[in-house]
Amino acid sequence: MNDSPYWNPRHETMPRDELEALQLRKLTNLLEWTDAQVPWHAKRLRDAGVTADSIQSLDDLRRIPFLTREEWMQGQLDQPPYGPILAAPEEAATRYHMTSGTTGRTPIRVLDSLKDWEWIAEMWCYGFWGFGIRPADVVFFAFGYSTFIGFWGAHYACEKMGCLVLPGGAMTTDQRVKQIAEMGATVVCSTPTYALRMAQEAKALGIDLAGSAVQRVILSGEPAGSIPATKELIEELWGAKAGDTAGMTELGTIMMFECDHQPGGAHIIEDHYIEEVIDPETDEPIPYGEMGERVVTSFGRGFIPVIRYRTRDFVVKVPHDRCGCGRTFDIYDGGIRGRVDDMKLVRGTNVYPRAVEAIIREFSEIDEFQIHLYTAEGIRDEIEILVELPGIPADDPESKKILTALSTALAEAHEGLRFGVKEVDIGSLPRFELKAKRVEDERIVIGTEDERRQT
Amino acid sequence: MSAELNQAEAKLVECYRSLETVLREHGHQLAPFAHRNSIKALAALWQIMNGLDQDPGQIYDLGA
Repeated sequence: MNDSPYWNPRHETMPRDELEALQLRKLTNLLEWTDAQVPWHAKRLRDAGVTADSIQSLDDLRRIPFLTREEWMQGQLDQPPYGPILAAPEEAATRYHMTSGTTGRTPIRVLDSLKDWEWIAEMWCYGFWGFGIRPADVVFFAFGYSTFIGFWGAHYACEKMGCLVLPGGAMTTDQRVKQIAEMGATVVCSTPTYALRMAQEAKALGIDLAGSAVQRVILSGEPAGSIPATKELIEELWGAKAGDTAGMTELGTIMMFECDHQPGGAHIIEDHYIEEVIDPETDEPIPYGEMGERVVTSFGRGFIPVIRYRTRDFVVKVPHDRCGCGRTFDIYDGGIRGRVDDMKLVRGTNVYPRAVEAIIREFSEIDEFQIHLYTAEGIRDEIEILVELPGIPADDPESKKILTALSTALAEAHEGLRFGVKEVDIGSLPRFELKAKRVEDERIVIGTEDERRQT
Repeated sequence: MSAELNQAEAKLVECYRSLETVLREHGHQLAPFAHRNSIKALAALWQIMNGLDQDPGQIYDLGA
């Protein structure tokens, strides 16, 4: 059985009708537990007329009210520090983590017990095993271990699987790159942005990453892990297969992973989650193949029941047989496509940073970039892309050619919207270790004059 | 619905139940090293119970 391509063969290849029956049973168990342990949730369920025994099919899931991040954050403000969502006493916890925290927003704070922490690692095991990682692997984590949950669960998953783990926290980029090469790491875990950053550093140090022992790069933390051009670039620079994963602090771990068949998306771990896709405006379900917002229900972390949580992530779900790996878990084609909140409205056109990055990464000469939004003449939205072009002097005709081609490609993909494209000095744009923040929105007026930014 | 277990899986289920019983009924008799390592082992075995569809429930009251 140890040669199985699946971490849990029984569940990963379970016929869909049995898988859905398993989900239904786990859902009723979760509702019973939540109703008994979390008065705040129990009231919400009662107000909606939902009891565990009233859930007869997965369609009944839609009777349960959504949980939003805003409610969660408000709960924390009302009852600091965790809010009214805990299903077990704080003393039962052994881990504390929090979201990375976007400026001005309250971070989500979470607790886990020993059992929950084992489960968190278990989810990562599905992903690592499914991508071909085995006990003989040497896994380097390019991750600053902190209260941000990031790759913590993955670290424990690799220990559980019997891999040799190299925890690369509190190191500079050049130290990390040297250690990856010197220690013969076969697997590297990082954000897509930082995988590119390490590749740049390796080049500067004269280290041939493509010729190193690294065979697999596990990506997480940003949608870029499933942007084809970004992923191809990472695979080329590292001479390794790159696999996307996605998770969230609210769940404690990943909910999807790319298998080694690399079907252009990631399998949803459906024996531990129900993932719905809805229209973010109407809240109605979206069929296979269409983009919508993902809503997650988790059966794993009992400490903080997560039921119908609005993630604000955009996804496109496709059937499991899109992939030939034999798993019956459905797939998010293209991984996380972006976030509802990331969308920028520029002169009436929707601009998604992920879509912009996908185009920029087609230009291999571009090393780093930033999306800059500003208000021109006090009234007009403008968007410009700042790029670094190492190896090409600014006055070189080749440089102008690239900038023009990029501007044209961006306009064509955005209903003719004019994008300024400007070359900036090498090394002048920020570099990132965790989640990249490549959008600088300095507009005074956002969308309409009624939406004037507070200054 | 509960999965059909092979002999090895059935032994592990038995092991979990036995360990849970020890902790529930006799945990107070164990020295710290034995108690805490048992809880850690229970947390790991819980994943097997869950993965085998045995509905292990929650074990926060035991410290896991």
